[in-house]
Amino acid sequence: MADQLAFQSPVRSADVNEGPLTLVDLTATSSQTLVRGAESGLTPSFGHATRRDDGVLAAATRPDEWTLIGPLGDAGTIASSVTSEGFVTVIDQTHSRARFRLAGDTAAQALEKVCSIDLGDHMTPNGAVVSASVAKVTCDVLRDDVNSTRSYLVICDRSFADYLFSALSDAGAEFGLR
Amino acid sequence: MTTSRLSSGGAEIDRSSKISFKWNGKTVNGFEGDTIVSALAGSGHQLVSRSMKYHRKRGLLTADYWDPNCFVQVGDEPNVRAGHRKATNGMDISAQNVWPSLERDMKSANGLVGRFLTPGFYYKTFVRPQFLWPTYQKVLRTFAPGGAVDHQSQPLYFDKRYTHPDVVVAGAGPAGLAAATAAAEAGASVLLVEHDHAVGGHLRWGSDADRDEAARLEAAALAAGVEIMTDATVTGRYDHNWVSINQRSLHASVERLVKARAKVLVVAAGLVERPYVFAGNDALGVMTAGAARRLINLWGVKPGTTAVAMVANEHGDAAVADLEAAGVSVTSVVDGRNGEFVSSTTASKGALSSVTLGDGSTVDADLLITAVGWTAPTSLLNMAGDRPAYDETAARFFPTKLPPEVIPVGGLVGDGSTAQIIEHAAGVGRVAGATGISARRQLQAATTRAAVVDGAEPAIPAMPEPLGRDPHPELYRSDTHGMVDYSEDVSSKDLVAASKEGYDSVELMKRFTTVTMGPSQGKLETVNAVAVLAEARGETIEEVGTTVWRPPYAPISLGALGGRIFEPERVSPIHPWHEANGVTTILAGQWIRPDHYGDAQAEVTNVRNNVGIIDVTPLGKLDLRGPDVPKLLNLLYTNKWSKLAIGSVRYGVMCAEDGVVLDDGVTAHLGEDHYLMTTTSSGAAAIWEWAENWLQTERPHWQVHVTPVTTAYASINIAGPKSRELLSRLTDVDLANEAFGYMRVRTGTIGGVDDCIMWRIGFTGELSYEIHVPSGYALHVWEHLMSEGADLGIGAFGLEAQRIMRLEKGHFIVGQDTDGLTKAPTAGIGGLIKLDKDDFVGKTELSTLDVASLPVLVALQPVDGSVVPEEAAQIVLPDSNDIIGRITSSRFSPTLNRSVCLGQVEPSHAAAGNIVTVLLFSGERIPATVMEHHAHFDPEGARLRG
Repeated sequence: MADQLAFQSPVRSADVNEGPLTLVDLTATSSQTLVRGAESGLTPSFGHATRRDDGVLAAATRPDEWTLIGPLGDAGTIASSVTSEGFVTVIDQTHSRARFRLAGDTAAQALEKVCSIDLGDHMTPNGAVVSASVAKVTCDVLRDDVNSTRSYLVICDRSFADYLFSALSDAGAEFGLR
Repeated sequence: MTTSRLSSGGAEIDRSSKISFKWNGKTVNGFEGDTIVSALAGSGHQLVSRSMKYHRKRGLLTADYWDPNCFVQVGDEPNVRAGHRKATNGMDISAQNVWPSLERDMKSANGLVGRFLTPGFYYKTFVRPQFLWPTYQKVLRTFAPGGAVDHQSQPLYFDKRYTHPDVVVAGAGPAGLAAATAAAEAGASVLLVEHDHAVGGHLRWGSDADRDEAARLEAAALAAGVEIMTDATVTGRYDHNWVSINQRSLHASVERLVKARAKVLVVAAGLVERPYVFAGNDALGVMTAGAARRLINLWGVKPGTTAVAMVANEHGDAAVADLEAAGVSVTSVVDGRNGEFVSSTTASKGALSSVTLGDGSTVDADLLITAVGWTAPTSLLNMAGDRPAYDETAARFFPTKLPPEVIPVGGLVGDGSTAQIIEHAAGVGRVAGATGISARRQLQAATTRAAVVDGAEPAIPAMPEPLGRDPHPELYRSDTHGMVDYSEDVSSKDLVAASKEGYDSVELMKRFTTVTMGPSQGKLETVNAVAVLAEARGETIEEVGTTVWRPPYAPISLGALGGRIFEPERVSPIHPWHEANGVTTILAGQWIRPDHYGDAQAEVTNVRNNVGIIDVTPLGKLDLRGPDVPKLLNLLYTNKWSKLAIGSVRYGVMCAEDGVVLDDGVTAHLGEDHYLMTTTSSGAAAIWEWAENWLQTERPHWQVHVTPVTTAYASINIAGPKSRELLSRLTDVDLANEAFGYMRVRTGTIGGVDDCIMWRIGFTGELSYEIHVPSGYALHVWEHLMSEGADLGIGAFGLEAQRIMRLEKGHFIVGQDTDGLTKAPTAGIGGLIKLDKDDFVGKTELSTLDVASLPVLVALQPVDGSVVPEEAAQIVLPDSNDIIGRITSSRFSPTLNRSVCLGQVEPSHAAAGNIVTVLLFSGERIPATVMEHHAHFDPEGARLRG
C-alpha cells in the first residue's frame, strides 16, 4: 500500500533545474541500497562509481561497502540481485539518506565553497567517490557527470537534508543557482 | 590646496565616468577607478586623518594599501583603507576618531603633552591604584583609535573557498606574472594572487611601455590558463603549504577566505618602499616617490606644485621625471647616492612649507618625495621558516634557507632590468610547475579515487642563475629624529628612549613601544625601527636582527575568518507538522525537537487519561546483522542476551571499561541474525563508534555488521491507556496483550505503510507502543494517527511532558541523572549487572567495586510538595553546607500534584525514609524524603503491562 502513498522528501525548498547550475533533490525519486561484505562480488573498487547495465549507479563508498542507487521502488529488486552467499548485509537506505544532484560547469566551484576536498579532474575524476564534509555535514560525494556536464551526487543523512539543500543553494547562488 | 587633478593622464581612471561621494559631509568628485585617497587628492583634500596618539595632521604617505595615514570610516564600516578602497558613487566617508572635526581636532591637545607620553606611559601610569582601572578604562577608551562600530549593522555575507592548485603565486608584478605563466605552460594548475586591484606591480605606475609590458604579461598568463585573483592577499603560509588568501572585491560576498593547499608557493611579493626618518616627516605633502608616481600615472593627480626630491635610486629619478612631466616644479633634487640628505621640514597648519637639507640650506616646497630604499616583505618566507639576512651593500634583507616547496622570485631575491627579472622568474616558474606537477602525481598515485597517473614524470629543470644585487645606500634616519611608525605614532626618539630603558632587543622594543604593530604590520616600519635600534646600540642591523613576521601578512576581517555560519540542524520527517501546530522546539545536540505544544502539564494529563503521541525520531537506532550479534550484545551490555528470542525486546545498560554508565536502551531481536538496537538520542553516534571500535580492534573475527539506521525510521511513541485502541485502528498486527505483550516486538503495516517495526515498551509508564516507520511515509502515519485518534482525545506531547512522565515513573536519563563517575550498580540497575557472564565491558572494574562507598541514585520527595528544587541544587548536611549529593532531575508532577525528584546522595544518607536537606539556589534549605523506589508513580508497572 505504501506504493500508493507519496514518498515525502525532507527537502522543503524547490529544485533549481534550469540555468547554468542546477540543484535537484532526488530523494523522492530514487532508491538507495547499502551492501556490506567483501563477499558480495560487487564492483567497482573502493573510491569509484560506475553505472551498471541495468542503470543502477554502483558506488564503492567505503572498503567492502557499496551504495546502489536506482529508481524509487526498486530497492527490493536491487537487493535481490546481490548474492546472499557469505557474510553479506543488504540494507535499504532509501529512507535514511537524501540525494541531491548539483550539476553544471560551475558545480565544482560551488561545491568547493562548502567542501574542502580536491575536486579537480586529477583527484576527483568522473566516477570518483569520496566521503567528505559538506557544509559541516558528513556526505558521500559522487562525481557523476551527465552528458559530459560536470555533476555531483551529494548524499547525506535524511535529517540534515533540508539544511544541506539550503546550504548548497546558498553556495551556488553566485553561479546562478537561484 | 596643493594637490589637484591633472587635465589628462591617469591610466586607471575613466574620465568619462564621474562619481561623487561625501567626505565629512561635503561632496567630493572623482572618476571611476579612483581610490578614495586619489579622489580626495584630486579634489585638493590633503588632510585625511589624525594620528593615533598625538592627533597630528596626516595626509597620504604611500597612496596604496599600506598607507598608514589613510584609514577612514565608510558608512558603518570602520578602518577602511582609503589608499586602496575604490571610491564609488554615493559613498559616505568620514574621518575617524576626531572631535569635533578633522580640521579642528581637540584631541590634538595630546601633542602638547607629548613629551610625557613616552613609550610605556600607559603601562606605568595606569597600573595603580588597581581599583581605579575601570575609571581609567572609560576615559582612555574615548581616545582609542579607529572608527566607530555600528552595533545595529546587519551581518554581511562572507564565505570561504577551498582550492588545491599545483602552484600558488603570491604577487602579480612582472616576476609573479612570468612565474605563473611558466608554471602553467609546464602543465601545472596555477593560482596567481594579487594584492592590488590590477596585475602588473610597479609596471602599472611606470611608463607607457611599462604598462604595455604588464598587459602582455597578463595576456600570456590568461592564455596559459592561470587563474588570476586580484584585490586578494596571501595572508599566511602554514604547515604543508596550506595558504590562506583573503579575497576582496567580490560581487557575491564582502570578502572570502580562500584556503589553498598549494603544492608549491612562489612568493613574488615585490618590494615596499621605505619612508625616511627625519624631523617633520609626517607633514602633509611628504610622501614616498612611489606615492607620487601612483598619483600621477594611475589617477592623473598632481601631488604638489613645488617639490623637493630626495632620491637614492632609479625609481626616484623616474619619480622626478614624472613630477616634471606633470608640471610640478622640482626645485631641489637631493641625491642620497652622493651622501646628500634631507634633515627636517617646517609646516604651516600641518602642511609642508619648507625643507631643510643636510647642508643646512632651506628650500620652500609643498611637496617632498623620498626614494631612499626598499623593504623586502619577507613575511611569507618567515612563515616557511626562513630567517632573512641583511645585505648592507644592497641595504635590504634577502632570504636564506627555504623548503623546496616555497620559492621566492623578483625583488625579494635580487635586482635587474624588467627583462632580467621576467626571465629569472620564468625559470623559477618552470621549476615550480614541474615540482607542483610531481607532487600532484604522487598524491594521485596514493589516492584511490584519483585518476590514473599517466605520462612520464616531469623532469624538474635546474634553478636559473640567481639575480644580482644592486648596491644601494643605507638611508634610514637623517640627523634628526622623526616618525618611524606612523600608525602607532612611534618616533625614532621613542625607540632610542626604549633602548635606554633596557628594551634593547628588537622583540622587546616592539612590544614595549608597539612599533610595527599597526595595520601596516611592519611593511613600512620594521627595517627603519631595526636601523634606529642598531644605531642606539652601536651595532649593525645584522647584529640586531629583525622581529619574526607571523601570519597574517595583512589584517583579515573577522567576517572573512568566520565565513558562512554553518550550523547543521537535524529535523525529523514529522517536523513540518510540529511547526504547523504551535510547537516550541528545543535544540538537543543538532536535533530540533518538539519541547511542548503550549502546555506540557496538560500533555502529561492527557497521556495519563487518554492517549498521546511523541516524535522520538532522534532515538539512536543501529541495525545489527550477523551470526555473532549475541556475542557483541553480551560484550557491550552488562546483562545477558544469548537467549533473547525472536520477537522479544530487552533493556540493557552499557558501561565503559571503568564501570561508569555509558548508555542505555532496548534491543529487539527481529529475525535470524538480525537485531535492532536503540541508544539514547545523544549517544547515537558515540555508541555506533563504540560498537565499531570493539568489532574492528578487539573482536575483528566476529561476523557482525553494525549500520546506523536512526533516520531510516521515524520513531513515534504512542502512550496512554487508549494507545492500543488507537494503534489497532491503523494496523493489522494483533495487539492483544496475550499476542503482543510487554517487551515484545512485531513488524507489520501501519496506516498502509509496510515494514514498520513496533514494540511494547514504556518510558512514560503507560501502556505504550513505540513504532518505527520508514521515514519517507512517517508524516503520513503521524497525521493518520492524529486523525484516527481524535475521538480518543489524542494529543501530541513533547520532550518536556515525556521528561515529567519518566520522572514520575523514576526512569533515569544517562547523562542527566548519571555523570562521568556514576558506576552502574549505583544507578539502581544492580539487577542488570551479570557478573556471572564470561565477559562484558566494565566487568573487571565492577567485579571489584566497593559499591558501599559510592553515591546512590534515589528518588526524593520534598516534604513540601509544592516546592520544586532546581536541578543541580545541592544536598547538604542538615547543620552545615557540606555536600552529600545533588538533585539530578526535578519537575512538578500534574499526576501526583506534587514535585518529583531524582538525586544522587552519599550511601550513608540513601536509606528509604531518610530526610535529607536540599539547598535551593535562593539559599533556602528544604527537607526531602528518600523514597523506597525510583518510581513515584505506579511502581508495580501495572499500567504499562496492562
